[in-house]
Amino acid sequence: MPTELEIRNLHVRTEDREILRGVDLLVRRGELHALMGPNGSGKSTLANTVMGHPGYEVTDGEILVDGENIIELAPHERAKLGLFLAFQYPVAIPGVSVANFLRLAINAQREEPIKVKEFGQQLRHAVELLDVDEGFTSRHLNDGFSGGEKKRAEVLQMAMLRPQIALLDETDSGLDIDALRTVAEGVQKLHAEQGLGALIITHYQRILDYVRPQFVHIMMDGRIVMNGGNELVERLEREGYDRIREEVASRA
Amino acid sequence: MPDATIEPSSPADGDGAATTSARKPGSAREATLNAALAGAGAGGAPLAQLRARAQAAYDALELPRWRRSGFWQTSFQDLDLDALAPLTRAPDATLPAVLADAAHAGVLVQRDASVVHVQLDPQLAERGVILCSLEQAAAEHTELFERYYLRRLPLDRNKLEAASAAFWSGGAFLYVPPGLRVEDPFQIVYEISDAGSAQYAHTLAIGDRGSELRLREYDIAVGEIAADALHAGQFELYLEDGARCRLAQLTDWGEGAVSDCSTSVVEVGRDAYCHWLPALLGGHLIRHHYELVVAGQGGDMAFRGILFSQADEHLDVFAVDLHETGPSGGDVHWRGAATGSSRASFEGLIQINPGAQQSHTYLQFHSMMLSDHAKLDAIPSVLVSADDVSASHGGTVGELDETKIFYMQTRGMTRPQAVRLIVEGFFEPLIVQLDDEPLERQIRERIGVKLAAAADDIERYALAR
Repeated sequence: MPTELEIRNLHVRTEDREILRGVDLLVRRGELHALMGPNGSGKSTLANTVMGHPGYEVTDGEILVDGENIIELAPHERAKLGLFLAFQYPVAIPGVSVANFLRLAINAQREEPIKVKEFGQQLRHAVELLDVDEGFTSRHLNDGFSGGEKKRAEVLQMAMLRPQIALLDETDSGLDIDALRTVAEGVQKLHAEQGLGALIITHYQRILDYVRPQFVHIMMDGRIVMNGGNELVERLEREGYDRIREEVASRA
Repeated sequence: MPDATIEPSSPADGDGAATTSARKPGSAREATLNAALAGAGAGGAPLAQLRARAQAAYDALELPRWRRSGFWQTSFQDLDLDALAPLTRAPDATLPAVLADAAHAGVLVQRDASVVHVQLDPQLAERGVILCSLEQAAAEHTELFERYYLRRLPLDRNKLEAASAAFWSGGAFLYVPPGLRVEDPFQIVYEISDAGSAQYAHTLAIGDRGSELRLREYDIAVGEIAADALHAGQFELYLEDGARCRLAQLTDWGEGAVSDCSTSVVEVGRDAYCHWLPALLGGHLIRHHYELVVAGQGGDMAFRGILFSQADEHLDVFAVDLHETGPSGGDVHWRGAATGSSRASFEGLIQINPGAQQSHTYLQFHSMMLSDHAKLDAIPSVLVSADDVSASHGGTVGELDETKIFYMQTRGMTRPQAVRLIVEGFFEPLIVQLDDEPLERQIRERIGVKLAAAADDIERYALAR
């Protein structure tokens, strides 16, 4: 059975307000999902909560990986179950090279340290995939990186850590068209080669010109209000969020 | 054990260098506590005479205490000197473990009060390099010795300095002749091997005109020293015109009861260059005055430093970047972290003397707090007496960043792994500049050990935030 991430009736709040108000979602390994919605609808909160960010409190509902509730697990334990988050705003880790960070992260998730040769091969492969030059991996992680480099570094980590299911939190924001294409094609390839399952969180449909999701979800005000396929992306492009909001309101 | 706590000193206290006549509340807080040596040392006289002067100062002076109005005191006054003695040791052919994996041009090991091991690449000896005990240098290379010994170091600012100048035994002397370039490092080790040891250490090193060398000094304890021991050291390095040196001093007295009161001075001559990195990685009570003097036109330097205090350690550093002439360059960059209930203070002074035009220097100190109970103060100051110069300072105070920790956790690392990586990364910009792989590894390992020892404390701190 492929790994699956199931979110059931998830309610999440921060100190001052409730953000998620009953989210249901199922993402399986090998599936590409897009989660779209206007700013402030709760998309990033969902991604961070799935990974166990300490700033978000789950007040109701479950997050299940293969049927096991992971709400009590620490973030690193969730990573070991095969979950991954590509951050919207990746933080800089000064003094730690990309390569060193990757090696430490890989080793943190396995019993035996990875062999130098194997690591080197994987790294070369990933570097080609993300179209970065060799020097990239000896730079300090995200330290002084451009927006595009940061997002490439996120997908590079994803390629190396080989998660079952990745959450990509606005990985497309702030990218020029070339970087966007590289990052999107990277995700598409990992999907094809490694059977990656992904939840691509985005505000725009731009990235979806390069990654074709099988499932599209629209989130508003802390709930998923619409599910569909690629036709939903096209509709959104034509009509905008306001029309969908009206429709949802009239349904209720 | 000597007093390693900080007590607020009352304004009525009249001793200590910080005392000034103006005592407006708060006004003295940023005042410079310490003064640069900034001048001629005591030297230029026969050794016996200098020892006698130091002995007289020793008899007259009290054990030192440095206090900064309000919040700092570094005191050696609880040290029982009568319980300490220079311990004589027999020669020992085995190298200390700390030198095990490194190539070297020469090694000198002093254990407690005796030099127990000296070796020098014979080819270098043939070309005029001298590496021997300072005692031997005083007897056999008297002319060189008297020209440099205490050229810039005083001997009577406090009782422990006087003790070092009066009573030093063994000691290290290194001379690299003009134009000679030595690739591998010279290594000098001061070991304290037992409680009750009074180690009065003195290193005198000279890079003559146009020479190039690497020098490492280790101040270390063998095992854990369970009761009081003392290292009172003086270090002097003179780089003549055009000489270049990479100097690293690693001080790690472990978790035992070693107190260390030392002064190190480096003089950079005309067009000479020094890259200097002291790493203070362990000691019950440490007071160290470092002074880098750019004395010749075109002299340049990079003055780096690492300090990491843990448990109840007390660390008091005064670092001076002194420009006596210009044009000259300076770049001072220190980093410090504190865990446990340790106390650390870094006072950095840029001093540009009259006439040192076109001196350009920058001082930065970055600190990282890893405990609610630790204290880490940075006091930068600038004293400029020339008008065509640039001198400024900056710094940051860092704390553990939860965002970074979460980021690394999502990559599968545990909290302790994440914290360790953040702290290692914090020091890494300085470590990597050492350009000395074995030494870099040693410093990284020692930082790792200190972090592991403080793991619970750091975890509590991180969770409480």
